[in-house]
Amino acid sequence: MAETTKNETTAILEIRALQKSFGALSVLKDISLDVEPGNVVSIIGPSGSGKSTLLRCATFLETADGGDILYDGQYAVKQGVYASKADLAKFRTRFGLVFQNFNLFPHYSVMKNISEAPLLHGQDKAEVQEYAMSLLKKMGLEGKENAYPCQLSGGQQQRVAIARALALKPEILFFDEPTSALDPELTGEVLKVIRQLAEEKMTMVVVTHEMPFARAVSNRVIFMDGGVIVEQGDPEAVFGDPQQERTKQFLRNYQR
Amino acid sequence: MSLMTMIVKMSEGLGKTCAIFFLTVLFSLPLGMIVALLRMSKNKIVSAVTRFFITILRGTPLMLQLLAVTYGPYYLFGAGVARNKLIPVVIAFSINYAAYFAEIYRGGIESIPVGQYEAATVLGYSKFQTFMRIILPQVVKRIMPSVTNEIVTLVKDTSMAFTVSYQEMFTIGKQIANSQTSFMPFLVAGVFYYVFNLIVDRVMGRIEKRLDYYQ
Repeated sequence: MAETTKNETTAILEIRALQKSFGALSVLKDISLDVEPGNVVSIIGPSGSGKSTLLRCATFLETADGGDILYDGQYAVKQGVYASKADLAKFRTRFGLVFQNFNLFPHYSVMKNISEAPLLHGQDKAEVQEYAMSLLKKMGLEGKENAYPCQLSGGQQQRVAIARALALKPEILFFDEPTSALDPELTGEVLKVIRQLAEEKMTMVVVTHEMPFARAVSNRVIFMDGGVIVEQGDPEAVFGDPQQERTKQFLRNYQR
Repeated sequence: MSLMTMIVKMSEGLGKTCAIFFLTVLFSLPLGMIVALLRMSKNKIVSAVTRFFITILRGTPLMLQLLAVTYGPYYLFGAGVARNKLIPVVIAFSINYAAYFAEIYRGGIESIPVGQYEAATVLGYSKFQTFMRIILPQVVKRIMPSVTNEIVTLVKDTSMAFTVSYQEMFTIGKQIANSQTSFMPFLVAGVFYYVFNLIVDRVMGRIEKRLDYYQ
């Protein structure tokens, strides 16, 4: 893989001085963060603060302009220069991404949505299907393997999307506002599944507007605004005793 | 000439009508996809040139294109006119219909949400796998009604082969009409096309229904 490695760290994901602009608009200004194995990091902040762009850069859906991205101490991006296409493909196997709008494949059954990617990666069919079934059970979707996404509720679709991401056995799972497209009623069932994964020590980075969830589940909370990390730390510290005026203001507005 | 003789004589041209139809469908559907992909190319020159050809093919009469392909080589290079006119006829029809299909495909491809590409990319699908497995099947479903429209039009457009005297059903009918000073052959032709399109409609409807298993 990437030639330049750095071994003194145990972080699954390291982001250093990441920068991203869309034209003249600077969306990420010098963002740095580490995600340790088994940790859940929540990213909160107002719309347009760069939270989603950060996740999209970490998953290579957006191309960063500068900075480093390392997975397991290996450079995927070094000072804004990306690893080769083949190396990036290998890095992709390390993470999963759950989208706000699920992005399930509508023409595929639930089973095919979950199992096709591992099969394309050359995994054994029987094993893939068995694992998919166990994931469905874990997601509370037993018996839905032959359903099509359009036959499922939003909450069920998002849980299929989570199973689809997990099927590739990622080391880290990213969630981009996983409940923002859901009715309040359906939000709970998705959060419950994420909470369960947290209990199993799945490493996760969750961009969310669900403050009580972020407070209860995260090991660390990051508050972003205007493309910078304004404040971060223990959830009780950030939510209970925010130090920055901007954080206080944001959390106050949220409680109203 | 009795009605029965007319029908029999015109039926003899039906094989050629079907040949134009099926060969055009066979060639223009894939060719249209190539044209659509060229049209959507990130290379500005490729996309502009393709766009220009599409405007020509859609902006000039098919009849003119038929004449150009059939007799153009003779007037331009002094080459002989093809003995079997099916070849230039199918070439002209295929290119013309490919231009229309290309625009239908493009509309279909562009209507697929970008999230489908992103989900596939993150899951490790290659560009080719994403297109073949995720995008194309959804495009096919979305464009079926427009494609059916074009195919129904193609059935009737085969009659234009009379301009280069290719002996398909309508050309024969027209000749009978002239020699017998009768309108009857045109009515017969109308019935032929109508029945042909009833079948096309039934087949396309069945395909659409098969694709109906999701929203």
